[in-house]
Amino acid sequence: MTAPAAFARHGAAALGLLLAWHLAAQALAGSHMLAGPLDVAVYLATHHALMGRALIVTLENAAWGFLAGNLAAVGLALIVALMPRTRVVVAAVALVVFCLPLVATGPVLRVLYGPGPGPQITLAALAVYYTSFIPLLVGLRAAPASWFDLIRLYGRGAWTAFVQIRVMAALPYLMAGLQIAAPAAFLGAMVGEFTGADRGMGVLSIRAMRGLDVEATWTIALVAATVAMLAYGAIGALAARLSPARPDILLATAPAPAKGNPMLRGLGLAMLTALVVLALWWALMEAFALSRFFAKRPDDIWRYLISAPTAAANRATLWAASVETLRLVVPGYLAGLGAGAGLAMALVLVPWIAGAVLPLAVALRSVPIVTTAPLIVLALGRDTLGTITIVAVMTFFPALVACIQGLRQAPGQALDVMRIYATGRLTQLWHAQIPAMLPAFFAAARLSVPAAILAVTVAEWLATGRGLGALMAMTASTSNYNMLWSAIVVVAVGSALGYALVAWLERAVMARVAPEQLRG
Amino acid sequence: MAEPMAQPGPEILCDAVAKEFGHGPARVEAVSPLSLRFAAGRMTALVGPSGCGKSTVLRMVAGLEAPSAGLILLGEERPEEMQRKGALAMAFQDASLLPWRSVTGNVALARKLARLPADPEGVAEMIARVGLAGFERARPAELSGGMRQRVAIARCLVTAPRVLLLDEPFGAVDELTRARLNAELPPLWRARATTCLLVTHSVREAVALADRVVVFSSRPARVVGDIAIPEAARTDSAQRLALMDKVSAALSQGWDESGADTRLAAQ
Repeated sequence: MTAPAAFARHGAAALGLLLAWHLAAQALAGSHMLAGPLDVAVYLATHHALMGRALIVTLENAAWGFLAGNLAAVGLALIVALMPRTRVVVAAVALVVFCLPLVATGPVLRVLYGPGPGPQITLAALAVYYTSFIPLLVGLRAAPASWFDLIRLYGRGAWTAFVQIRVMAALPYLMAGLQIAAPAAFLGAMVGEFTGADRGMGVLSIRAMRGLDVEATWTIALVAATVAMLAYGAIGALAARLSPARPDILLATAPAPAKGNPMLRGLGLAMLTALVVLALWWALMEAFALSRFFAKRPDDIWRYLISAPTAAANRATLWAASVETLRLVVPGYLAGLGAGAGLAMALVLVPWIAGAVLPLAVALRSVPIVTTAPLIVLALGRDTLGTITIVAVMTFFPALVACIQGLRQAPGQALDVMRIYATGRLTQLWHAQIPAMLPAFFAAARLSVPAAILAVTVAEWLATGRGLGALMAMTASTSNYNMLWSAIVVVAVGSALGYALVAWLERAVMARVAPEQLRG
Repeated sequence: MAEPMAQPGPEILCDAVAKEFGHGPARVEAVSPLSLRFAAGRMTALVGPSGCGKSTVLRMVAGLEAPSAGLILLGEERPEEMQRKGALAMAFQDASLLPWRSVTGNVALARKLARLPADPEGVAEMIARVGLAGFERARPAELSGGMRQRVAIARCLVTAPRVLLLDEPFGAVDELTRARLNAELPPLWRARATTCLLVTHSVREAVALADRVVVFSSRPARVVGDIAIPEAARTDSAQRLALMDKVSAALSQGWDESGADTRLAAQ
């Protein structure tokens, strides 16, 4: 297709979309669900100064968080590159920290920092460092052995190999991580602003939602989504310039080769991780001499949940909230993954649609959940269905993108062999494409666990007023820091366990369909 | 060009060299004790069935694998010492070019790694010599498999190594280019008196290029044939064919189960 023709087609598609949006808004007028393109344009025109100021504040916080989080990711990756034995433990601790619920860490950080942009920047950094760290880990190992032979052949050592090979080989992986990090930093900054900032897109968003201001909610969501997509696209373009020879990056960590009993190893890793996290937690609180009133130590939580007279009641409250949250997050998570994988497979049967949907899905994946959540709440209400849908949307797009990319990994020659025997599309899908898709699918499924829990807690906090999200928001506002920290522990441990469960399933499935993927 | 300064290659000695991989039940004997001398400044071809261990011999001479037993000397020196002097070069089966470097960048990297002064003219001349003039700025992904292997050969030669190790370097090169390279490259390493080891599947190539062909059995590698190729065979096609038959016969003799592909390659 020539460039003008493509331009015309995309232009026509955009116009059609605008028209459909307008008609839908007309049809739903008066229902307080959907603001049409004209409403949004009018709102933007009248409030552009306010929006512009808020956007600049949030962008600045997001940029600092992006920088800090990615520096942390590079630092962690360097530790692992220099001391490969620490890889499993560093990755596990990094995961637990990534699983800390933003909804609860936000208020705690607000108390620690006081007023100012501190919490926003920290939350933005926390939202990005893990998704940059994981591809870097893969990238630093993603060089074939013969490249290192070449270095040794001339008598050069590990430092030359690091500079000439590892850094360069990791660069495209770093760029892939940065691309996902850009919208995530924006999300983190917005959640940080929810926790009592006085300026920024997050503040506007909360105000619009509380006031049921449909035009404002839609305008903020669209502006935030546009910024996130632009950041995603800009880093993608930069990556294409910097490293033209880009490998296919699926963000899948190669599972460690199993030595000995996998159950025992898993248990050992879990205990070691818990020990390191507890030590870090305690040391961090002591190092900054933070007040025990709001900066709880591990032994405070132990007393609160185990040894205090009211411990049983505390546990019961926490348990009830956890069960409520689980009822929402599990169906949403499974529905999102299933719909993503299912749509990807359906699209592969009609390849020309897949080509059109992939860029759209990639773009929508970068839209922060805090901008879509209010829209879904407007449309589906503050109840079970709305929350489950928010979780499903959060897991749907990563799963869809990963699965389309994974389905394309099917070796072309294997498909050619099947075509020679006039094999049907479904048989090809089953024998060649689905096995090729599974590594990408599981990578998305693992990373979607913390994302789903973030989505459900944000929805519970902002909309439903039930479950762990609401419990954390309420205890934060009533200064019940024992319960708040207990909820943080429960969410972090639960997320990490969910992640481990998916990783275990992944190993079991991969051992059957693609044992070569498990070799370290 | 650094040719006049190139030092002649040393004799290579393999004394009772053996290699095992793995431990316990997973132990694999790749090379059973092997004693060989490869003459200084000459090219020796190593042929044998797939997986017989000939590449392992090459990697041990390069110092990339340590022998489980025995001693390897290049002249007076261990492979590791030769590595540090930048006196070794090796072409790998898969070319192993760095994808983010251009053709020129990949070839120039070898001089940098070998701690030799940059030599842009020498790099350009070597690229032209392997027939890639005009592709200097291309990235490996833009080249065919055969072109990549030619870049790898240029990368080997640009440091004027004393020992040149070639692991099936022409596998993906098309027949015509291969014939041209087979004609053009040997004068280069003969003039420099480089000691060369060539691992190949092709009996024709072994006889055409080498001064001597060593035939290995299937794994673990034992020597089942050692055939000198006289200078006259380069011009006398009848003699060349007779030598090819001789090499093929030795291959068949050492053929256990895995020899089918060597028969095909001999045709």
